[in-house]
Amino acid sequence: MVYLMAAARQDDLAKVRGEKPELWRQVRRYNKPVQLALAAADEVMRFASDPATAAVISLAPCQPGSADLYSWGHVVTSGMASGTLGNLRMNPTQTLHAVDNLAMSAFAIAHRNHAYCLGLGGAAGQAWCGIEAVHERLSAGLEEESLLMAGDQDAAEDGSPGLGVALLFSTRAKPFQPLDRIVRLVSVSRSPAIVDVVPHAANGLAALLSAIAEHRDRVMSYVVPPAHTDGFSTITVALEIS
Amino acid sequence: MSDKHRVVITGMGALSALGATTRELWDGLLANRTGVRQVQRLVESGITVTTGGEVDAVSPENVERDYEIANRAIDDALAESKRDAAGCGFIWSTGLDTFQMGSDGFVHRSAGRCFSNLASRFAGPRRMIAAACASGTQAVGEAFRLIQNGQVEACVAGGSSVMLTPFYLIGFAGLQAVAIDNGDDPSLACRPFDKKRKGFALADGAGAMVLETLESAQERNATVFAEVIGFGMSQDAFDLNRPCDDGAGAELCMRRALADAELMAEEIDAVNAHATATYSGDLAEAAALRKLFADRWRDVPVSGSKGAIGHAMAAAGVLEAIIAAQTCARGIVPPTVNLHDVDEGCELDHVIGEPRDVNAETVLSVSFGMGGQNAAVVLKRGLNG
Repeated sequence: MVYLMAAARQDDLAKVRGEKPELWRQVRRYNKPVQLALAAADEVMRFASDPATAAVISLAPCQPGSADLYSWGHVVTSGMASGTLGNLRMNPTQTLHAVDNLAMSAFAIAHRNHAYCLGLGGAAGQAWCGIEAVHERLSAGLEEESLLMAGDQDAAEDGSPGLGVALLFSTRAKPFQPLDRIVRLVSVSRSPAIVDVVPHAANGLAALLSAIAEHRDRVMSYVVPPAHTDGFSTITVALEIS
Repeated sequence: MSDKHRVVITGMGALSALGATTRELWDGLLANRTGVRQVQRLVESGITVTTGGEVDAVSPENVERDYEIANRAIDDALAESKRDAAGCGFIWSTGLDTFQMGSDGFVHRSAGRCFSNLASRFAGPRRMIAAACASGTQAVGEAFRLIQNGQVEACVAGGSSVMLTPFYLIGFAGLQAVAIDNGDDPSLACRPFDKKRKGFALADGAGAMVLETLESAQERNATVFAEVIGFGMSQDAFDLNRPCDDGAGAELCMRRALADAELMAEEIDAVNAHATATYSGDLAEAAALRKLFADRWRDVPVSGSKGAIGHAMAAAGVLEAIIAAQTCARGIVPPTVNLHDVDEGCELDHVIGEPRDVNAETVLSVSFGMGGQNAAVVLKRGLNG
């Protein structure tokens, strides 16, 4: 059995900076999606029995990078065109902003986590692959707990809003925080469908959490809104809430 | 194990600096040849890194280059396997977003969009792997797991990268990971485990494998090149830019792969190493392999391919798994191109100068990503390999 034990959303980095100075010191050099994912993960790992042994499944942003990185990209490509690159240097911190597995690496370092890890890339709908992977691994008894985290932004070029989401799953039935109800992940099913998508690593998971919070019956069959899918499937997440 | 499916490789496709086919890749390695060279368009840009592993089969002017390179490798693998994409899952890494100049100016290439385009002709599952340099190996491992557990009958697994852009050449130079030009012969830019190593040469490339159940391969009378028998992952949890000195994270993923394969280390006949030619990376990898093999470490042939094809990032692991599968099928371990003088701390049973025919049947292929994700797969000679 696989249970959703805790979840967190984070969209306010100023609050993180003010209220969690130690966490902020760890994440301040990263780009916004990574900062938001790590801040959300920090919230849910308080409920983990052993953060060092949980499987870590991390979604790369669909809008990766940062305003600094985009600016730098323009400098490089225009210099390339004019043959004026010379000895141009890149700030290594900005190189990190382009890296797809950064949140996973930073999380592992912070929590001394050597466990199984799965980085899923910045294509539309990979969040549901992440939930499928959680279900596969915990159902098979490979781990007792698994973190699924995502951070993304509306656009990387201009510092527009972002969102981080983290979900902690367990093989033990503990009340889901913050609802204080038992939420069991039953299955994820798919059927073919071609639909238009809005690629975003975190929005789909946030919408699922909102739906869980509003659901009152025991059985929940959550049909993922088309915009949050991979564009090739109708996806249904089955849950039991008690 | 009885309720699990055996998983075999029935098709492979590779585009690398050594050519546009798996045959050219293998023959180039056996000839101890490198495809890494000075790239004229990089020289003209004036940057300090001008060597790399370029894929000649697709024009660098083509802004769809990432998509084209990947699709050619996928098509070759499917053709060799005689399977249709519509009957396969797709576990793939398209690497990182990048920036390049197109005919209309600045072009932002989204790796996610490239993945979705590639995935559109496949059945599910469609998973995009993002584990930096370990992505290709993890893609093979994840496909293996899905097939083994009966979630899908067949998958195309692998990865593709377009890294020879000034954006990444300058970026990785800033991380002190790539070999900077200093007047040396460009073909010697990447020297794994060598005293004169100074980093890797970035490369473009793509590698694809068709994996399927043994039952399916036998029913179709398909050629089986190798069997995948184990997969392991780990995280270093040490540093974003370098591995821990003793290679503990690397060793852990190798031990997990061996445990998954239900093998002892002494049953491994050869290793396809990650071998990036970075100072700390090679030391950590050599330390990990010596600990894994204990008193047998002088007797297990080790080979790395980045001296020959450069570091194709998301494609690196699957290109190396393809080489490992060829080793399983033919028993021959190719040499580590550009390794001449083994550095202190990098001692292993390196294959140097010419291939070694050791009738290798079981091969460990490993990849270690920047940021600390480590992946290993164990391959074994196929029934008719």
